[in-house]
Amino acid sequence: MIELKTIEKTYGSGDTATPVLKGISFRIQAGEYVALMGASGTGKSTLMNIVGCLDKPTGGQYQLDGADAVTLDDNALSHLRNQKIGFVFQQFHLLERTTALKNVMLPLIYSEPYPEDAEQRAEKVLTAVGLNDRMYYRPGELSGGQQQRVAIARALITNPQIILADEPTGNLDSKSGLEILAIFKRLHRDGHTIIIVTHDEEVAEHADRVIVLKDGKIEQDRRVAQPRDAEKEVDERIGREDAE
Amino acid sequence: MRLLRIITEGVRSLRINKLRTFFMMAGTIVGIAALTVIMAIGKGTEKKVMKRLQNFGPRAIMLIAGGGKDLPPPDITVTTLTLADAEAIRNQIDGLEIVAPMAWNFNVNVTREANLHQATVWGVEPTWHEAWNWHVTDGEGISDQDVATMAKVCVIGETVRRELFGESDPIGERLYINKVALTVKGVLESRGASPMGMDFDSRVVIPITTAMRRVMNVDHVGAIRLISKDVSLIPRQAEAVRSMIHQRHHITPPEEDDFRLITPMVIAQLVKGIASTLSFLLIALAALSLFVGGVVMMNILLISVAERTKEIGLRRAVGATRGDVFAQFLTESLAVTIFGTILGSLLGLGVSVLLPRITPMPVVVTWEPFALAVAFALLVGTFFGVQPARRAARLHPVEALQ
Repeated sequence: MIELKTIEKTYGSGDTATPVLKGISFRIQAGEYVALMGASGTGKSTLMNIVGCLDKPTGGQYQLDGADAVTLDDNALSHLRNQKIGFVFQQFHLLERTTALKNVMLPLIYSEPYPEDAEQRAEKVLTAVGLNDRMYYRPGELSGGQQQRVAIARALITNPQIILADEPTGNLDSKSGLEILAIFKRLHRDGHTIIIVTHDEEVAEHADRVIVLKDGKIEQDRRVAQPRDAEKEVDERIGREDAE
Repeated sequence: MRLLRIITEGVRSLRINKLRTFFMMAGTIVGIAALTVIMAIGKGTEKKVMKRLQNFGPRAIMLIAGGGKDLPPPDITVTTLTLADAEAIRNQIDGLEIVAPMAWNFNVNVTREANLHQATVWGVEPTWHEAWNWHVTDGEGISDQDVATMAKVCVIGETVRRELFGESDPIGERLYINKVALTVKGVLESRGASPMGMDFDSRVVIPITTAMRRVMNVDHVGAIRLISKDVSLIPRQAEAVRSMIHQRHHITPPEEDDFRLITPMVIAQLVKGIASTLSFLLIALAALSLFVGGVVMMNILLISVAERTKEIGLRRAVGATRGDVFAQFLTESLAVTIFGTILGSLLGLGVSVLLPRITPMPVVVTWEPFALAVAFALLVGTFFGVQPARRAARLHPVEALQ
């Protein structure tokens, strides 16, 4: 699915050249749930941008679902992002003064062919993230957790194979964060490949596999023996609250 | 269709920020309104010129007694022009179809039995009818023989007929001017009133010899009307007449002329005068507001691109190409100018309709200004929209999202 070989990224050139990624190689199979970890400044955001086809490496090879993401031109990369990757950002990045439904439909504008049932699809993904009663709300009228769920629905609308989330719980309280992680868990169970970029150990515990970056290199790439199950934890929490 | 969806996005963002959109539009509205009014005035002036030229006679030159710049025709006391001048022109100037001297007197009492009417009395040669294209509808016009024999005959205008003869047939009847009895031999076709309110039909036309010897007792004429064989000859003929009269009247410029020469060109100049001053101001206003409006729009768009960096980054992340972003922002500038053009055209239309009611400005509304306005709008929208759109399209998605 995703295959990186000795990926390098250097900003600037000559004397001021700053290498950020110094030869990163890994493979992610379809359906994996991976946490990409590292302290700030270790290059994990840069790596996420390359994996998400938002940026190109200065060296190495990157195959995404059989496509050579290094040599593709800008238009082809845009198409690739539209079709294969769903982005979830820390700051949600919703369009202001625009309904949840319209926000979710945004990627479809750039989809070919445009689906006949665009609106129904948006309603469906919004229902899937539990916002069936908030479709015509604007971001300002939604809580942080709800906004992030709109963003996840938006990431799902083109039915991409990969969900790429950059600190998705970073701006949320722990309860909302857990709910978001529960959604990821379910998407993973449904067969999506989930990649979460985080510096938060607790978030990483929900993934099957953790890749830790340090100084632009992979420090650690390990399987998680017993990943936490956010869905179950949310259920338990609701149960506990009900009991109180 | 993808482009259509992107255009919809551009228009949607204009709808969301109505105030911003209005500011972007203001210059276009004023500019296009001014443009519309200019063109309406231009057309109106053109039409007025055509009408005035038609009245004046497109092939006519008027040589009028008395100098100066004052517009009203000279009265009987101005004695500078004579039949000899007319004769000289007839003999020495080539390419003239008609040379028609006229003598006239205003507000002359014309009587018939107990009826009295004040009319203008015109002494003319037979060619007068042709020179003014003004013929009788009843009876006969002035003839060569009338002039040769100083005949006591007249042709009357419609108003004179009505005032003096009422319902009865005037042909063969007599009327009196200064105790001279004149037999009515014809009635002129009605021409109504002049734009200044003068009644053209209040006139008695008599042979020029009769007028000068029997009625007015003068040796001079008021004006000589010349009809050229071709419009293109007029400027040269007018100059030839001018230098000839200078010589005959012993005038050496810069000494002041004792006559006036009016050509169709002078008439056109006169009519265009006021309108062109206003048009010039409006053209300046239109150009200025379209330019300033365009610059303002460009700046607001540039600010908007900066403000919406994250939105652009997001659109790129979810699959928008550089071209898509470019198209969206160009749509915004084009939609602003096109919609501004519609509003501006309506405003201009309103002013164009109102203008003739509060000023003597001639106005004609046609479709051309609207076509021109749309062309302008697309030009301004593109010219000032490309730069912001390019800046938006060039944003790197990673940097835009930070």
